[in-house]
Amino acid sequence: MPEEFSERRRATAWLQRPAGLFAQEHVEDDLGAGHPALRAGRLYRRVSGVDRHAREVGPEELAALGDPMATLFFRRNVFPMAVQDLLDGLPDAPDQPKVYLVSEAGTIPSVGAPHLRRDIRFAITYAVRGTEADLMISTGANSDPRTTFLQVAAWDDTHQVFNYYMRIAPAWVWTGNSWDALTPGSRGRGCFDSHINGSVVMKELKQPWPNWQSQSAAIQLAEDDPLRDNPLYQRVIGAENLETTIRSQINRWTRARLRAVTADGTVQHPDHLLRQLFTTTAVNLTSTATQSASIRPGDDPLPLPMGFWLNNDALLDDLELEVEAAVPATTTARYTHSLEAFGFRLEEKASGFSRPGDTFFAFVVPEAALEDNTVVRVLCEQGLISRKFAACVLMVDFPNPVFSPDRARLMRYVPTTATAADALGDQLAHRILDAAAELPADSPEGRFAAHWNRPDATWRTDFSRRLTDYLEKVQQRITTEEGFDDYVRLAESRRRRFKAMKLNEFELTLPTTDIPATAAQLRMREDATVEEAEAGGSSVEASTG
Amino acid sequence: MTTISSYSPPGRLTDLSDFGRKAWDVFVSDNVDFAIKGPDPGQVLHDGPRSQFYNLTKTDTAADARTATVSWTAFPRILKVHSTSDTQRWKKAEASRKAQDEYCEWSVTRKDGKITRATFTCESPEYWDVLAKTSPETVLRLYRRFISPDVQESDLFVNGVYDRSNKWNNTTTQGAMHLIQKNNTLAAEIELAAAATIRRVIDGTELTAEQELVKCSDYGQAERNSDPHIGGSVNALARQKASISLTDPVGLYFDGLSTEGWVAPDGSDPQSYWTYERGDTEHRVRAVYEVPASKNFTVGDITINGRPIEYGAQIADFVTIKLTAVACRFGRSTTEPQTACKQVATTELARPEHAFVASAFSAYGYLGTAPERALRPTRNA
Repeated sequence: MPEEFSERRRATAWLQRPAGLFAQEHVEDDLGAGHPALRAGRLYRRVSGVDRHAREVGPEELAALGDPMATLFFRRNVFPMAVQDLLDGLPDAPDQPKVYLVSEAGTIPSVGAPHLRRDIRFAITYAVRGTEADLMISTGANSDPRTTFLQVAAWDDTHQVFNYYMRIAPAWVWTGNSWDALTPGSRGRGCFDSHINGSVVMKELKQPWPNWQSQSAAIQLAEDDPLRDNPLYQRVIGAENLETTIRSQINRWTRARLRAVTADGTVQHPDHLLRQLFTTTAVNLTSTATQSASIRPGDDPLPLPMGFWLNNDALLDDLELEVEAAVPATTTARYTHSLEAFGFRLEEKASGFSRPGDTFFAFVVPEAALEDNTVVRVLCEQGLISRKFAACVLMVDFPNPVFSPDRARLMRYVPTTATAADALGDQLAHRILDAAAELPADSPEGRFAAHWNRPDATWRTDFSRRLTDYLEKVQQRITTEEGFDDYVRLAESRRRRFKAMKLNEFELTLPTTDIPATAAQLRMREDATVEEAEAGGSSVEASTG
Repeated sequence: MTTISSYSPPGRLTDLSDFGRKAWDVFVSDNVDFAIKGPDPGQVLHDGPRSQFYNLTKTDTAADARTATVSWTAFPRILKVHSTSDTQRWKKAEASRKAQDEYCEWSVTRKDGKITRATFTCESPEYWDVLAKTSPETVLRLYRRFISPDVQESDLFVNGVYDRSNKWNNTTTQGAMHLIQKNNTLAAEIELAAAATIRRVIDGTELTAEQELVKCSDYGQAERNSDPHIGGSVNALARQKASISLTDPVGLYFDGLSTEGWVAPDGSDPQSYWTYERGDTEHRVRAVYEVPASKNFTVGDITINGRPIEYGAQIADFVTIKLTAVACRFGRSTTEPQTACKQVATTELARPEHAFVASAFSAYGYLGTAPERALRPTRNA
């Protein structure tokens, strides 16, 4: 194991950045240059971007931490150094812990890949106080439990935040809480490179839960793999159960966050909330439900994931638009042909592994993140913005549900200073309308204005019809060679955007293709054709200044 | 360990008479034997015999026995794959029991459009066939107790024959007494488990993944939650060269309901409104989600991650079904893997809608509900 990954996840994708840039950042971020030698039996704090280096947590700071890690362990001077010690220190609770298994190499047979490291990880949840999980633990499964990484997200019910901890032997380090994820200095730093908006994360959230052991796929172990005898392994259940936990936890934090930031009727940082409507702060990964290696030309048509075509979770479920079109599906012959035509392969440069073909489940792509959509839904529920406003924004460039520069452009109209909560939506709409008056009709502002000016009685019907028309056009193109090849290139373009995020930790998460890394970014048009995107980004950091 | 004397009724239910219990034992045992034998090799190639599957009443379960519970989500995966949104798939699932194909079916009661009660069942239709043949009065009593006091004998029996899809058990609104979706049969479960014990080495590579196994062995549909998962889990035991069976009592059971993210208006525990009505503590076969009348709210007022429960299908997303297999004699099977996928040699076998094996009653002078159609059950329809 490279030294830089001691007590850390072996993020192979970070090694492939220029000069291993992210991996180096990661090392520096944990404790900070010049940190004191860690002493056993101590809790330190190091919030990346805030604390220059780790320092011991004082008694008052410790008393202010209200999660089970603090109350059951650290306040009692107990510092578990391995996951089993941690679990042994928790009170017995029915059906706890719940143990899950994940590995990007877990479904690759060891035959033919003898040097490929499995890097299997446990994700463990534990409901200490009630029926909702309080502890989310991540640790290596097939490594020494005392030297592999051990990280915990712990819900603090008193302060309504997640506290994030990691063990760095011989001590533990508090690396921040959910609010630090939103604060400019620490945003995107340290553990908040993946806990981007302060919540727990499961990238492959939906069925078939790629890379997770689940009812859809099992992680393969050799008959003599010692992991089989691990008591935690023997408790592993399917990731379908973790999905419900993560959805609940994201909802929990989002509602707590909204309660806090609107408590006095004023939103101090509207941009912190609304960047999750206008931009892509995070993504989930979605895929078909079909094992790629089992697909043969002539099989039943292959429906591609809805989240690739539009933000169906927000538009169709939360905002209740209704489409009458079917899920676009291609022929399996087109799919299998594309694997050869574009040189699909799984590749881990860190180990020299390469194998032709797609990921285990076919057609993995980024889609709009649940954590972004949940913020939008709760904003609507609490009346900070109307459903019509949210729909008018999301209908701008809707064929590009993630990484849309057009929607990101509208972020410039979002107030960055304190704003009355009940005036937020209208104020923002009028800012965009004012700007639209001076801009072309096909500008993002102009399109928003056209949406906004639709009568209240018909906007749902109008938007629904557009979505239906679009999906029908997609279906017409997806079975043609040119059309499907376009969508393969579009998918790869979006994958490249994901690969540039620190959320992308493992090389085997996504396939590699012959499409050059320097190929132009692509965007989908409403007529279901694909074109080169104009230069620009959609991350909030790129769109706000 | 040793053999068991007989197969118990599912959930160790006590509805059956002594005579009915014997008939049930014969039914299960015959189906297991039938599944071990596999299809006629003159008609179907590479699908039998299933030598690693065994009958608990005839073959010892060895001391190294381990059980393996296989669980899956009750909501139909096929609808998920082919729907554009959650709302759309919930509506589809609620439209017809025919769509509910994961060994779990449900029915919803509404008042003023709002859900007041959702009933879930995973009871096999064959059990009710046996019950109807041996204790028809009990069938009527149970329907009146669990579905409606208005049920009449003539609603359930047509010319003296029990109608599985009677009007009190064929909708998503009028009640659900037992499974009726054509693939949701116990015989199909047994057949699937037995067929999945066949190891497949194709072009020198042993198949291990759920979908490639189900496609090669053709014991179910790759797009379901249940079939590939059951098959994959059983096959993983077979690859350890073990002998495998389904534990007694053979059946499909509720694994549980997760209520993470659920909120009741009064802050009470949403889990407390989930109750089991039939089956012993380890083998639940009937469940109800209902808020007591003493509360001033109903199921439709409970939210899941902020969204009110508008469909029973939303609850089904959180329900899991299970079966349990037992494996023993690890490393001792000498059965060689098949080196080809299942092939139908001539014409395709009929796919019975009523997968009932007549011999369950033959020894006692009875015939099943559709003996002429007592062919091998499959989950492929």
